[in-house]
Amino acid sequence: MKPMSSTTDIRDGYFDRVFDLAQKNSDLVFLSADADAHSLVKFRKTFPDRYINVGVAEQNMITVAAGLALAGKRVFVYSLLPFLTMRCYEQIHFNIVGMNLPVSFVGVGAGYSFDFDGPSHHGLIDIGLFRLLPGFTILNPSTARLASQCASFSFENGGPTITRLDKGYLENLNPDSDFDSGFSLVRSGKDVIICTTGRMLHNADKVADALELRGLSVGVIDLFRLKPINNELLADAIANSKALVTLDENSAEGGLCSLIAGVISERNLSIPRKNFSCADGIRHRPGSRRFLLETEGLGIDELVVSISQFFHSAISERQMSRV
Amino acid sequence: MIKQKSMCYSSLAKELRLKVFDSVIKANKGHLGGTFSSIEILIALFFSGVMSYDGTNYTAPNRDRFLIGKGHACLALYHIWNKLGILPDKELETYGQDGGLGGQLHIGISGAEHNSGSLGHVLGIAAGLALAARLDGTNSRYFVLLGDGECEEGSIWESAAFIARERLSSVVTVVDRNRLSVTAQINDDFSGTLENKFTSFGLISLTVDGHNTLEIINALTFARSSHVPVAIIADTVKGKGISFMENGIKWHHSIPSKEEAMLAREELTR
Repeated sequence: MKPMSSTTDIRDGYFDRVFDLAQKNSDLVFLSADADAHSLVKFRKTFPDRYINVGVAEQNMITVAAGLALAGKRVFVYSLLPFLTMRCYEQIHFNIVGMNLPVSFVGVGAGYSFDFDGPSHHGLIDIGLFRLLPGFTILNPSTARLASQCASFSFENGGPTITRLDKGYLENLNPDSDFDSGFSLVRSGKDVIICTTGRMLHNADKVADALELRGLSVGVIDLFRLKPINNELLADAIANSKALVTLDENSAEGGLCSLIAGVISERNLSIPRKNFSCADGIRHRPGSRRFLLETEGLGIDELVVSISQFFHSAISERQMSRV
Repeated sequence: MIKQKSMCYSSLAKELRLKVFDSVIKANKGHLGGTFSSIEILIALFFSGVMSYDGTNYTAPNRDRFLIGKGHACLALYHIWNKLGILPDKELETYGQDGGLGGQLHIGISGAEHNSGSLGHVLGIAAGLALAARLDGTNSRYFVLLGDGECEEGSIWESAAFIARERLSSVVTVVDRNRLSVTAQINDDFSGTLENKFTSFGLISLTVDGHNTLEIINALTFARSSHVPVAIIADTVKGKGISFMENGIKWHHSIPSKEEAMLAREELTR
């Protein structure tokens, strides 16, 4: 298998690994609901019997996947995230979860990946939906290397898994991450810890660089497994800093904001916290990803100002409460 | 010979209806109408030999499989699996009790191939099983029983189109057309008959008297050898077997009163 670099598209990271797995495992079957990817072409050509385009029919794709899985096949199902997760949610809940079938879901379009295509193509609430599904593992890789590991994990996992993929070439920021822990401390910092996931890791890294120029010590956690969470380990990583920021290109409800709030509550962690995520609602506001993020207050420059202000007011509040 | 077989199936149908009825009365729970409309179909499937499936091979990897969309008819299946030696007496007796057998299937019940309770799923599951069998080069058949109300679900038609396109002729679809859903009559006024629909989707459609076991067996025998997927539309009566229940919309899930139960039992044992 070729080594991962930042010249590997994150999608290729996942699908190249699926191809490798298919070469070694004749039980691997790939279903697509009329969605394609560059690195799936070789799969289709090499294993034509095991690549099935079910067409624009997500509900059928899931029930067919269930039937294949009941017969012992290792199944991957693929489409754009919103269609993969919402169009056929009942089929997923009733069959895949209901019978705990080890089907690997892979959806492209995390966050605002498909920016210009509008809210129908934005993956902003699927994390919340899938956190509700018992037994599901939710993976949100930030690099091609992690995406490749997600594919391997999904294949071996005894229950269902979903991997959310962004698109493009993302720097290999966390080459030494321990996959089993579900997160990596990409950089440590005593003042602020930014907990983020997916593509936002790269934005968080830039924000941290800018904040450090302003004299703050800023850490970044990449939470690439959103379910299940190791509350204890994660809380320990957060507790080393004075203030916590969650940065998420997803809805606050059900996304990282509520997830981390749950961790903090469960571990009785006392730490000032500020959340930056997408506002509730469906917005028809065509534009680039950068534009969309900036209108939500998630642009890099605005985050630097907001987080700096938050930290300083949080620290002075703490100092005043001790007086 | 045919008359003999017919009489056997007829008395089996009577036996099954009575057992289902007694279970419903004992537990005060059950879906009599839709269970009674499916009795002859189930007898044809499980007792004629058209399905390679019995008490000795029901977990064998290459077995034929039966999938049911209208899972509220599960009481009939519990009694059939019991008769075949698949479901023990002790477990059957737990029907309706806390922690016992429920009003829908789950995959942990001996004989059940899937969970039931939500309509419109099993045709796709059967398609997946059939795809797997094709990849493995085996000859298993997958018999699916749907309700006609269930055929209002769009997901059924996604799966039907897929089955036709992939030529998954090992999937044999049977529709129990009792022409009643929970709240309404189901008729063909606007979108055509089920036969028209399945044919236009690329399947062969057959129509049978859903209470004539021999006719159903003939259709199943044709279907299991067909190279084109087949849908068998079985015309049935909801609540068949108890005169005051037949075609009665309330008998989808109503439980008879004491007096009604007496009358019903008298008819079933006549």
